[in-house]
Amino acid sequence: MKRMIWLLTVSVALAVFLVAGLAGCSMEPRSVTMHEPGVYKGAKDPLLAMQQQDQVLVDRFRLVQTDR
Amino acid sequence: MARMKFLCDTERCIECNGCVTACNNEHDVPWGINRRHVITLNDGVAGEKSISVACMHCTDAPCAAVCPVDCFYFTQDGIVLHDKDLCIGCGYCFYACPFGAPQFPEMSSFGARGKMDKCTFCAGGPPPDGSVEEYQLYGRNRIAEGKLPLCAEMCATKALLGGDGNVVSEIYIQRITQRGSRPETWGWATAYNFAGKEKKP
Amino acid sequence: MTPFNKKWLHRVSSEPASARDITRRSFLVRGGVALGGGALLGLLPLGCMRQATTEEKRNFPRLGVQTEYRRTICTHCSVGCGIIAELQNGVWVGQEPDYDSPLNLGAHCAKGAAARSHGFGEKRVKFPMKLVNGAWTRLTWDQAINEIGDRLLKIRAESGPDALFFCGSSKASNEGAYLQGKFAALWGTNNVDNQARICHSTTVDGVANTWGYGAMTNSYNDMRNSKAMLFLGSNAAEAHPVAMQHILRAKEAGSVMMVVDPRFTRTAAHADIYARIRSGTDIPFIYGLLWHVFKNGWEDKDYIARRVYAMDDIRKEVEKWPPEEVENVTGIPKDKVFQIAQTMAKNRPSTIVWCMGVTQHHMASHTVRLFCILQLALGNIGMAGGGANIFRGHDNVQGATDVGPNCHTLSCYYGLAEGSWKHWARVWGVDYEWIKARFDMSRQYDAGGGKMEYTMYMPGIPVSRWIDGVLEDKANLSQRDNLRAVFFQGHACNSQTRGVEMKKALEKLDMLVISDPFPTHMAVMSDRKNDTYLLPTSTQYETSGSCTASNRSLQWRDRIIEPVYESLPDHVILYKLAKKLGFANELCKNIKVTNDEPLIEDVLREINRGAWTIGYTGQSPERLKLHAEHRRTFNTLTLKAEGGPCKGDYYGLPWPCWGKPEMKHPGTPILYDPSKPVAEGGLVFRAAWGTDYNGKSLLADGIYSKGSDLQSGYPEFTSDILKKLGWWNELTPDEKKEAEGKNWKTDLSGGIQRVVIKHGCAPFGNGRARCNVWTYPDPVPVHREPLYTPRFDLVKKYPTYPDRKAFWRLPTRYQSIQSVNHSANYPLIFTSGRLTEYEGGGAEERSDAWLAKLQPEMFAEVNPKDAADASITNGKYMWLEGAEGGKIKVRAMVTERVGPGTVWTPFHFGGWFQGKDLYDKYPEGTAPYVRGEACNTATTYGYDSVTQMQETKATLCRITPA
Repeated sequence: MKRMIWLLTVSVALAVFLVAGLAGCSMEPRSVTMHEPGVYKGAKDPLLAMQQQDQVLVDRFRLVQTDR
Repeated sequence: MARMKFLCDTERCIECNGCVTACNNEHDVPWGINRRHVITLNDGVAGEKSISVACMHCTDAPCAAVCPVDCFYFTQDGIVLHDKDLCIGCGYCFYACPFGAPQFPEMSSFGARGKMDKCTFCAGGPPPDGSVEEYQLYGRNRIAEGKLPLCAEMCATKALLGGDGNVVSEIYIQRITQRGSRPETWGWATAYNFAGKEKKP
Repeated sequence: MTPFNKKWLHRVSSEPASARDITRRSFLVRGGVALGGGALLGLLPLGCMRQATTEEKRNFPRLGVQTEYRRTICTHCSVGCGIIAELQNGVWVGQEPDYDSPLNLGAHCAKGAAARSHGFGEKRVKFPMKLVNGAWTRLTWDQAINEIGDRLLKIRAESGPDALFFCGSSKASNEGAYLQGKFAALWGTNNVDNQARICHSTTVDGVANTWGYGAMTNSYNDMRNSKAMLFLGSNAAEAHPVAMQHILRAKEAGSVMMVVDPRFTRTAAHADIYARIRSGTDIPFIYGLLWHVFKNGWEDKDYIARRVYAMDDIRKEVEKWPPEEVENVTGIPKDKVFQIAQTMAKNRPSTIVWCMGVTQHHMASHTVRLFCILQLALGNIGMAGGGANIFRGHDNVQGATDVGPNCHTLSCYYGLAEGSWKHWARVWGVDYEWIKARFDMSRQYDAGGGKMEYTMYMPGIPVSRWIDGVLEDKANLSQRDNLRAVFFQGHACNSQTRGVEMKKALEKLDMLVISDPFPTHMAVMSDRKNDTYLLPTSTQYETSGSCTASNRSLQWRDRIIEPVYESLPDHVILYKLAKKLGFANELCKNIKVTNDEPLIEDVLREINRGAWTIGYTGQSPERLKLHAEHRRTFNTLTLKAEGGPCKGDYYGLPWPCWGKPEMKHPGTPILYDPSKPVAEGGLVFRAAWGTDYNGKSLLADGIYSKGSDLQSGYPEFTSDILKKLGWWNELTPDEKKEAEGKNWKTDLSGGIQRVVIKHGCAPFGNGRARCNVWTYPDPVPVHREPLYTPRFDLVKKYPTYPDRKAFWRLPTRYQSIQSVNHSANYPLIFTSGRLTEYEGGGAEERSDAWLAKLQPEMFAEVNPKDAADASITNGKYMWLEGAEGGKIKVRAMVTERVGPGTVWTPFHFGGWFQGKDLYDKYPEGTAPYVRGEACNTATTYGYDSVTQMQETKATLCRITPA
């Protein structure tokens, strides 16, 4: 009888430990940004795509910042 | 491709702080931070000169070189920007910068830094141009609207110039040449800036 | 790697990060808190940080929302920079540079760049309030107007209308200022004034008495034509920063820049030549220059012979000022004086600029005349690049001086004689006898020198002396009773001298009303517990109107935002009060009123109908709006539109813009310039003092404006003279009916001016500028030591005036003060001046986070020698005690900027009194971010012998460590 109770306790404990142990394995989707030296991984800037800035900005400069 | 640069003509800067305030206005910069400063050398004596300083958008930016999380990026115009999402507020860019451009909001009595904030050449940041998020984090994006930094556009004496480096040079060369026509530009006294030495009419 | 996430930061998101996710934006505190400039990180304890209000969160531009652009003019200084405001849904979300404006070309200084903060208004007076047993209690507008009105009527019944001192403002628009003056006139008193009194009142009077008008003769832009520029008592780099772009461009083009100032200012740092002068010795300095000019024959003899009267009187006086004496009195080395004289003479056209450093002295009306005389001797007046370039202070001090509230004249310098009253009564459409009955006609009082006069025809008490109107024994006043009520609309009090006595005056008053966007120092500096009212008043961004820049150009302002909180514009408050006091109909007889708001355009039209003396007649609202719309077409050097809808006009139609708007006069960009026809902006000197005096002619000789039918001097025009000339029949029948028996100033039809100009003549005559003003205390300027002088040894040789019994209704002391040697106990000169970031009394700017953070503390500049002598340490507090006992506690800044023997402070601070921070006395939520001692708490008695200007620039003090 004593042996049965001991076996029951151990198996329950084992079961508990097993469940607890396996709890850490639940996979929530998590994305992690890994750092690579010298590589920028932030969000993309829409300004990068704009090619036609030059002349607009030069005209603006001459309009506003020159001694009229 | 144009390379954006700032130039502050110290012969014209009068330390009016118009540039500092224009920047604070345009980007709603909080009390403890000034993205742009005006520094005065030899305050109160002959030879006093003022210069307006903010991020100089270096071609080989030391801030970008030392950032442990590589949060800096460069636009095609050479404007140096960074992503505050990646920034960890370590302050290393502040050590590296020769101009003291990186600023950190003072958050508490323990002086923790918070995210680095600096002059963006009015080019905002990664979020979509003109969006609310971009404004709240980085300030206005004037470049995307086809305008140039407000500090340079509002400078009281047109000392601070900001725009395509070649055009800025052009303007500055013109001014230098015109100044060269003054007798005051030449001579030992000017070259060696003897304090208090007057120039002849 | 999980990004940084500190809990005490704002709006923390709990969502996980992803490569594209940007929700954790909220890290940066500034997201909410900075909008509206709320909390002061690092300066205030954390408990003060708060969430941005819903309203403040809206104050930034959003994509996809339509943006409207409106234009106004900066409300700070007289350069008149254009401001473009970006609005979304009526909220002011951004500013853009107004690069089309020919005056500032898009530039701003710190103040103009901070204009948008007026839309937040977090420190504004938000609703009407009054003090009840020391606590600020909220009122409704009706309650406030009723209580104030009832009290005023009671005081009027007991003590007469002169018991009210109504202070108007040079920060009001032309229309607001004009109504302020009219309000006081219809109430029945001349006790009305504005900031011009303590700014350039000496200039206006002295210069007008020299050649006709007391305003800037050229313009900021025109300085680019100057070959040499002399700045005397002017710190343009800090007071007129945007004007420096024109000055530095002139310098780049070869102009020599010279600065003479007790301090090595930021302007001096850009100068080619700098001379340190002792405060108050400007007259000897100019005589020193003239000594060299005459000795070397550099004067323009032809110019003097044809256009100047009595230069020989000056030659006689100059002989008393050989170089040794000039150096002894001014402290400037002999060779430096010679260098400056030679530069001015050999680099013509040369111009001279002066500001408060020169005007705020007790003999300054004479000093400014001497500056004019120097320019006359050199022949520099009336040409591009020359002139007397007077840099005015506030944004509309020129307009307020011209059309607004002044105690010594009705609008447009008509004076206070019966004829002037009758002229304006006609323009206002009000019966002259009715106006007369409003005044105290019970008896006459001493108008000075024993001459008796009714108060209606006598100058009132000026703002520089209002405290004496309260405190002086009423038997000594030239009016029935003391001032019992004071109404300040748009005027600070910490810019007037003698703060300690001002506190007493404030406590003695029956009633104090402050109508201002901010509480100002006046609301807190005294220990008043009751009968004190704060009326929330709108700034000029919340209303439309015109304003006059220093170069006499008028510019139109659009309304940018609706009045914030419960504030109301000046003219609405005046109308409401006039309604309560019973003269609203007279105030706005010919002005349309809607919901208690007089129509601004109608007010300007009324000014146009009456302002014949100075030519504010041609600047109609329509023309001004057209100029604003097409401002890009104006040349930035000549200010002329060479083409476009405004072709031929000068920007802003600088006055005099003669005749009715239909005549389309283009404005007068450069005063007294005979190279152009009068119809195209040319002019000659005014013949204001008759045709001759002491046997010599006062009319010009052989000088006339281009195309003039009269080719020599002529007197001012009247209907009789037109008849004699045979021009009378060129008037239309209607014009003839009106102009019969009138002159060019009182002819409301404008026919006289129209016909005269058609013949190429100036309506005000063609006279000589005079070096001798025989009506002045000193007909030829003489040096007088400041009342509080460090050189007591010079007092015997250069004494001040004798005391006067009745001068502007008050006894005024001179000799009795100077005869005591104050320098024994107070050895240092105490002078004051400007900072760029602040202006005037400073309440507005110190309540603006963007500006306040740049100048966080009141301080005094002390030379290292004086600091060492008094054991003062840089950065530590010190006590500065003025010669009349007022003390202020300020930080010491030890610098060589000031010379040994001089202490300098900025004058913009307020909110402290003799060492105590008055934070608790402000109504809740209105205490400015930055408070400090008002330097005028420690300044002293001293008033100009002609205009009652206060002597702030030369007094004495001593310093001790705190």
